[in-house]
Amino acid sequence: MRYYFKIYRLFFKQYLKSLMQSKLDFFIGLFGCLFVQASGILFLYLVFEQIPLLDGWSIKELAFIYGFSQIPKGIDHLFADYIWLLSSQMVTNGEFDRYLLRPIPPFFQLLCDRVQLDAVGELLVGGLLVYISVSNGTIRVTFIGSILFVMAILAGAVIYTSVKLFFAALAFWMTNSFPVLQLGYEISNFTKYPTSIYPKGIQFVSAFIVPFAFASFYPAEYFVRNESFITTIIAEVCVALIAWVIAFSVFKKGVSVYKSAGS
Amino acid sequence: MIKVEGVSKEFVNAKKYPGLKGAVKGLFSNEKERKLAVNDISFEIADGEMVGYIGGNGAGKSTTIKMMTGIIVPTSGIIEVDGIVPYKNRMQNAQNIGVVFGQRTQLWWNLPLGETFTILKEIYKVNDKDFKKRMKFLNEVLDLGKFMNNTVRTLSLGQRMRADLAASLLHNPKTLYLDEPTIGLDLVVKDKIRNAIKEINAKYHSKVILTTHDLTDIEEICHRILIIDKGTIIYDGTLENIKDKYGKTRMISVDLHDISVVKKINFNKIFNVSKKDFNYQIDGKTVTFIINKDKVSVSAVLSNLMGKTDVKDIRIKETDIGDIVKQIYIAGI
Amino acid sequence: MKKKKKKRKVKTNRLHVYTPFGKSVIKDSLAYKGSFYLFVICKVLSVFITYYLWRAIFSSSDNSELGGFNQVEILTYVFMSFVCSNMVYISMTTKIGENVVDGSIAINLIKPISYKSKLFAESIGEMIYKFIVPSVFVWIGLEVYKYVILDEFSLSGIRIALFLLSSMLSFIIYFLFEFCFGMIAFYSTYVWGMEIIKNSVLSFLTGQIIPLTFFPDFAQKLFNYLPFSSMNYVPVMIYLGKISSSELIFSIERQILWILILELISIALWRRVVKRISILGG
Repeated sequence: MRYYFKIYRLFFKQYLKSLMQSKLDFFIGLFGCLFVQASGILFLYLVFEQIPLLDGWSIKELAFIYGFSQIPKGIDHLFADYIWLLSSQMVTNGEFDRYLLRPIPPFFQLLCDRVQLDAVGELLVGGLLVYISVSNGTIRVTFIGSILFVMAILAGAVIYTSVKLFFAALAFWMTNSFPVLQLGYEISNFTKYPTSIYPKGIQFVSAFIVPFAFASFYPAEYFVRNESFITTIIAEVCVALIAWVIAFSVFKKGVSVYKSAGS
Repeated sequence: MIKVEGVSKEFVNAKKYPGLKGAVKGLFSNEKERKLAVNDISFEIADGEMVGYIGGNGAGKSTTIKMMTGIIVPTSGIIEVDGIVPYKNRMQNAQNIGVVFGQRTQLWWNLPLGETFTILKEIYKVNDKDFKKRMKFLNEVLDLGKFMNNTVRTLSLGQRMRADLAASLLHNPKTLYLDEPTIGLDLVVKDKIRNAIKEINAKYHSKVILTTHDLTDIEEICHRILIIDKGTIIYDGTLENIKDKYGKTRMISVDLHDISVVKKINFNKIFNVSKKDFNYQIDGKTVTFIINKDKVSVSAVLSNLMGKTDVKDIRIKETDIGDIVKQIYIAGI
Repeated sequence: MKKKKKKRKVKTNRLHVYTPFGKSVIKDSLAYKGSFYLFVICKVLSVFITYYLWRAIFSSSDNSELGGFNQVEILTYVFMSFVCSNMVYISMTTKIGENVVDGSIAINLIKPISYKSKLFAESIGEMIYKFIVPSVFVWIGLEVYKYVILDEFSLSGIRIALFLLSSMLSFIIYFLFEFCFGMIAFYSTYVWGMEIIKNSVLSFLTGQIIPLTFFPDFAQKLFNYLPFSSMNYVPVMIYLGKISSSELIFSIERQILWILILELISIALWRRVVKRISILGG
């Protein structure tokens, strides 16, 4: 474990250094992410101009759910962004070769290959909305609550990474799974709202097929409405574990059928 | 020691049809196209050996190398590299090998070269003492100093290839796979790379498996060659041996004062040989004879010419391995 | 007379030069059939999800109309927005960025074809392909659903024709806008960041996320002076019959005006960029 930390630290240091050399790119990316977040909040704002409650939820509660869901998303975005390239080009152009030629696990190398600092945009907006929710009393801070909050966020990040890894690994069979990953990931844009507004089928998909609901709405529900601890936080951790096991097995299976480009 | 026993690799792809109509058709069909890239090959490579692996485009060279390095899994057969099955124990195998793909760098695109080595040192668990010693050696033979602080992305092709080679050697691998390591390089850099490979082999006694299109690489580095064609190994032996077998051809280039005399002489009739054993091409004032030295002697050709016109210059060339391989590709063994 | 004929011939020949680019895009898209099926399914799914969000919004409201839309209209709006934007929005920024990085733009300058026309041909190819899958099926599905389940049918041939005409104009506006935007690739290597800023702004200003009538009055007035509402909002509103016949001509005229303006801007930008390429070598 220390071995991996040491290697990761070396990479991380380099990314911070290269950031200093291309500040403009960083700000473009940061603003990009902030814009996406802002448009989501603007949508909520415009809708709530017309209605007082959405399916029984107030705008304050929705703002917390929205903000909470951005934090695991941001963590995944920060550390596991290179998975996108696995889905789009690494199999097509044979770039994945080099992962198989080093004595460290391919997935770890995938993490090492990029630290995406644009994610700071999501983390900032998420953090800010959670902070606002705490200060206006939507959320009460307790000691146990804080621990569970951290746990929920970490499990959420695992769910995000697992879903991405699963879809990206399909590239080993399809050569390019980018569109599938993109649209699977798209579901995360809908689980930042209460999933009860969707028909049963979609609720099922967002909970058990592409389980983003467990990374956002369900745990957020626990903090806003004191829903049962078991059906929210514990369930989230279980889903995270299962999702990870499935995604990682598919990834491993994919590596074994990897064709490598060229002759 | 490397053991390759009865190894085959078959690729299965969805069948593609030509044209726009074909693309629509492909959408609804489930036909598969099977391609046997490597067909039942076997060979062994001993420690310290330097082997040239040659073949035309699509002959199965890279597929073999990729199976030996563990990137892809053979459809059937067994590969063992120093007792490890590479595609089963990838990480363990990776610790013992160095790989350079001329077409694509293995280095991290956005990192400065110096940092790349620092990270590789950690990954391969090279201790400080060895690291210093090896970096000094690699610096000497590959001359990395000038671009050590540059980002890999900004290196020239020659610099990048030297960097890749150095990176593949940092952990002192027992086996070195070089897939077209001199592709696209100028003669000076090619020479540097060849010398480095030889020095490293002499110093560390590591196995070297080299694929290349540049047959000078093979002549300079390898004692033994494997020739693969259409997925099958068609020759496995020493370089000398194949030269003996196919090296009977000589090329004599002669610059003449009056080139027209050549056409007036019916050489085939004089020597009583077919076009296969005696042929010539004229290019300006130079005529090049291509002869089988067992059937026609060089001196006979020249004495026939010298009586007829002034000979300005004569050059005699042995067939090199390139010509031989060309012959094998065309005619088979 | 003779001269005229000759001119026409040259023109058809030139068109001929560009058709392979359009065709090859369609072919490439069809080549990966595994991802292709899933792509279509997932994309349509995401429209459904948007629609359900709207349904929840309506059922949370006491009014039967929100922002001037009733529930059937919002259903039509969401799905026709998809039908239109799916085929009309063809992003080129990434492609231009790649061409800048690999130097093929510079190479293109010495070929006897215009880079812009080549991109346009490719976009048309992509549009045709996206119209067939899945736009036209979603469209038919929507109307069948409305007719069979909701017992509503208010289509007329002229409205379909106007919708398609307006969509084509949107396509050209969007193409020109993308082309201008893509020129950023010459100044920043980080195209992805610019792309997401553009997409998030566009999805709002074109009315894709929420009809523009939901915005406050001052914002709606501002949108009249921007090209974005002409990209998606106008054709969909025409289809819904929410643009009166007097406004209709004006809306289409405005689309044409935007084409002219963006064409001029794109020519000017391209000139600058070509100058830059010839100085810096791409």
